[in-house]
Amino acid sequence: MSERRHELEAQFDRILSEHGAAISRLAFGYETVASVREELVQDIALAIWQALAHFRGECSERTFVYRIAHNRGLSHVWKRRPAHQPLDDIEESEQPIDPRPHPDEQVAQIDQRERLMSAIQSLPVAHRQLILLMLEGLSQAQMAEVLGITENNVGVRLNRARNMLKDALGARA
Amino acid sequence: MIEDRELDAWREQWTSVAKPSANFQRDFRRKVQQRIKRHNRRFVLGNILTAIAFLGILIFAFYMRHQATWMGTGWSTSVCALVFVAVSLRIWVLRRTWRPEAQSTRAFVELWHKRVEARIRLLRISIYLSIGWLIFCAVLMAVNWPIIGQDFRAHPEAWVALLVVCVLMQPVMLWYGAGWLRHRKLAELHEVKQILDEMDGKNVP
Repeated sequence: MSERRHELEAQFDRILSEHGAAISRLAFGYETVASVREELVQDIALAIWQALAHFRGECSERTFVYRIAHNRGLSHVWKRRPAHQPLDDIEESEQPIDPRPHPDEQVAQIDQRERLMSAIQSLPVAHRQLILLMLEGLSQAQMAEVLGITENNVGVRLNRARNMLKDALGARA
Repeated sequence: MIEDRELDAWREQWTSVAKPSANFQRDFRRKVQQRIKRHNRRFVLGNILTAIAFLGILIFAFYMRHQATWMGTGWSTSVCALVFVAVSLRIWVLRRTWRPEAQSTRAFVELWHKRVEARIRLLRISIYLSIGWLIFCAVLMAVNWPIIGQDFRAHPEAWVALLVVCVLMQPVMLWYGAGWLRHRKLAELHEVKQILDEMDGKNVP
């Protein structure tokens, strides 16, 4: 029993190391407020820990993690506070660290990134999920596995979601 | 080709969103471990409290049974019956809502939809059950009035206070509590339906 627990703990640690950054990014898609987002990331980690004992390897670990992250994100969308902090108010310390030197370039990149995040967050949830999975580099087959829809459906909806994202970015330009 | 460049640009912007430092990761792990411990503790405590509440009700019913009037027997029997019926109904109504049918986001949303519907049904049944309980208490009091009446005349203030608490508070709690919960659950149902519709490609702007 204790050996199994140690195995699970090691697996959980590995999952957090390998997919921690992706989980944090996915949380950006569901929550703009830094402190609430941190709670959401912890919630996702807790959900992964709870589901880990039942994970039998029917799908890849990545699919398993993304699926849980999105399910938790969906629940969060419902539970979140009605009042939202705009993206401009995100705490300075939470701003991503960019190693590139030129300040003007850096400002422009942060601006582009914020526009992208804001546009993603304006999409309907189901389309937002597709876009998030696409940005994480999942294939259409993997997306279909995570979301429980057919690959054809993924293709059609992804196309629509991309167009909506382009429109949303255009409106923010 | 243009599409791919566009996607590459988005991906580049997206992947530079968060690069947590080693310190942040250590701190994050510590917080997650704390959360897991808290969750486990809450789970155990919740089960212990439920068991205590259930035992408490049974002890109360057993104690009431020894009272000389029909009131005691009626109360003890009805409390046990009410607990049994409430637990059975909960299990019956929430059946097939414990686990998703498949391991996917769609299955999760479908399960969520089923759960919300089941909880709305449970709420409606609870309202009927509470009304039934009120009627039962009134009948029980009427049947025992020759004995209760003597006590009522001896301590009218205590009985009036008891009646206000039991008879008036319950409908108030029913109307406002159930109304608020129902409103919340209906809003949740609407949200889940909207997500399901979005997943099916319906109602998309």
